[in-house]
Amino acid sequence: MALLSLSEVNTFIDQYHILEGVDLAVGEGEIVALLGRNGAGKTTTLKTILGLTPAASGTIEFRGQSLTNRRPYEIAAGGIGYVPEHRAIFRDLTVEENLRIAEREKGDYAKRKDMILSLFPDLARLIELPGTKLSGGQQQMLAVGRALVPDNDLLLIDEPSEGLAPILIQQMMEAIKELSSDTTVLLVEQNFIVASRLASTYVIIEEGKSVHAGAMADLVDDDETIMRFLGAA
Amino acid sequence: MTTTTRPTVSRRISNALKQNRGRAAIIAALAFIFLSGLFTMDTGDWVITVLRGLAVGAITFLVASGLSLIFGLMDVLNLAHGELFMLGAYVGWTVYVRPDTFMDMALPVALALAVAFCAPFLAPIAGRLSLSVGASRVVGVVLGVIGFLGAVWAFRRFPLSIWDLEQFDKTPTSDSIALQQGVQTVPEPAAWTGSAVVAIVVLILGVLAIVAGFAVVRYRTRVPEPTNARNLIPIAAAVGAVVVLLAFGDPMTDWLYSISTTYRFFLALVVALAGGFALGALIEIALIRPLYDRPIYQLMMTLGLGFIVIELVREVWGRPEFSMPKPALFAGTGDGCPGEGLGGLFSGCSTVKFLDTRVRMYNEVFIITVGVIVLVIITLLIKRTRIGMIIRAGVQDREMVEALGVNVRRVFTMVFALGVGLAAFGGVIAGPALGLSPEMGSRVLLLALIAMAVGGLTSFPGAAAGAVLVGLLQQFVIKAGSTGIPLPWSDQPFQPSPSLVPVSVILLMIVVLLVVPEGLYGREE
Repeated sequence: MALLSLSEVNTFIDQYHILEGVDLAVGEGEIVALLGRNGAGKTTTLKTILGLTPAASGTIEFRGQSLTNRRPYEIAAGGIGYVPEHRAIFRDLTVEENLRIAEREKGDYAKRKDMILSLFPDLARLIELPGTKLSGGQQQMLAVGRALVPDNDLLLIDEPSEGLAPILIQQMMEAIKELSSDTTVLLVEQNFIVASRLASTYVIIEEGKSVHAGAMADLVDDDETIMRFLGAA
Repeated sequence: MTTTTRPTVSRRISNALKQNRGRAAIIAALAFIFLSGLFTMDTGDWVITVLRGLAVGAITFLVASGLSLIFGLMDVLNLAHGELFMLGAYVGWTVYVRPDTFMDMALPVALALAVAFCAPFLAPIAGRLSLSVGASRVVGVVLGVIGFLGAVWAFRRFPLSIWDLEQFDKTPTSDSIALQQGVQTVPEPAAWTGSAVVAIVVLILGVLAIVAGFAVVRYRTRVPEPTNARNLIPIAAAVGAVVVLLAFGDPMTDWLYSISTTYRFFLALVVALAGGFALGALIEIALIRPLYDRPIYQLMMTLGLGFIVIELVREVWGRPEFSMPKPALFAGTGDGCPGEGLGGLFSGCSTVKFLDTRVRMYNEVFIITVGVIVLVIITLLIKRTRIGMIIRAGVQDREMVEALGVNVRRVFTMVFALGVGLAAFGGVIAGPALGLSPEMGSRVLLLALIAMAVGGLTSFPGAAAGAVLVGLLQQFVIKAGSTGIPLPWSDQPFQPSPSLVPVSVILLMIVVLLVVPEGLYGREE
């Protein structure tokens, strides 16, 4: 059974109909890439799963439990970590506080500190600095690290490679690969090369609808689908 | 291994000055104004003016700190904050001057709270009714109105010993005078009007109806937050209070009359803080929360709430302004008074001679001390605790904090409650120094809003700094009204008239906002 499944999900933001029927399933232990053009509704899909932009209709199930009508904090506390785009770390908090605030139970941070710092060695020497002093790449690492502090079963990661230098993208990819060994990941990624190297399956969203899904290995050779839905090979 | 080169101290200072040219200029100008007072007035006058300014700043800070925390975290500008400060003063006065009335009121309030705390258990039932939107609103409003009328009817049947506004010897004013002169007598206890059982039952049913009406409207479709055993704690506490009050109410009243006014004053402070906290939580849950999507309505709601509180206070305590005697600890007179120098601070006198002037222990020393203590406690709360961390993070990005699994709404309720608690506490602190009047709230709110704007709206240290600057400036302008400011081009010194006092403070805000639009501690967006 899928860890997370969405079926016929519709979401409105104000009066705009953003998601017009999204179906997707994420199996335990997988990395699933959510692909699509700018404005297709990828970020909204993640936010709808978390209840930040609540679904108007459709079902969202996590571990067989419905997430609709639940408050975001309850959904997150059920074991879903969120790494938003644009590195939404807290500027007024130090790196350590940014990690500590994600604790769901006392001692979460102490328990996973070493694992996170070995994944992102840069953070270790910045630990006392406020968020404002971090470079873009460091902020992105902190945002991913933060999602690893509590005991999450699923990570929603939005555009981890956006705006990063190639060497940092490489580092980020390795980190995601490593953390995915014991966590399931739903990944939104514009960079098809990054997505294809990380994910085992994919879902393409086009104008708010999920239009295509399958194994990543098949998509890589399917230039026509890539051209049609992603606009680039 | 690379070593980062640390800039020298002087380099760092000059960099900081360059980045904060506007701020530095304003601080320098104000420091010049305040220090130049040293040359145009006596040292004693100058010292007392600074102390008074700091005292006004401390009281302003107690209001502005809550305002800025609430605005920073929740984007709610609570225009009722000044009136809640005023309400705190009146409640504190009642605990302090008429503890019998306070004890009498405590019984029905504790009973009502015990019932109201059952709300989390009613919510799931309300959700299962599955009424339509219209039906739930009608049912909710009808239940609410019936419950309110019933509760008010029952409340008046409780034995409340109250003052009679028509008779001077039984008014709040005469009670204050009697306490000050040490001739206060314990008033006769009041008796139940009608059957006690009927009153208690109707009050319980009335509050239950209000809570049920609220739950029907609120939880029509929404899944309520899960109930757990922790929700029983406040119910048990309130029931315990009811039992204690029923059994030992009268001996406790006699005891309250027998203790020193100092202890009674500190009890009044605790009651105002706790009562303000509870009232703040109630306001946030019942009135602010449904309006988070509509900020303008929220603004109007808090404005209206302020007017309601003013009229409520006029109705209950009466129109005349009245005083609050200073607690015994700060009211000593007679042999060895006034105290001398620093040692005089502990002499128990009402005033102390200090640097050529007489400093009042309560108005200056105590109020400033309280302001500093609150500043330190809140700063530690924000910097060192988990809830403080959540507040700092939430000021920037509430959604992300919620997405981490934090119940941000509960943090909102607590911050709002804390802000109102601080304001009510500030009201009691201000009472003996400024006296009580229904208008005291709007005056301090204006100062607090200006302090907030000067400090940078959402910044807590900014609110503190703004409050101090506003207080100092106000007191210096008041003092200059009598001493005059010598002008080089004129023989006549310039004496600002009293109407220039509020103008000067607003002028400060205008200048600050023109030079540094984001405020002294604000951050450019």
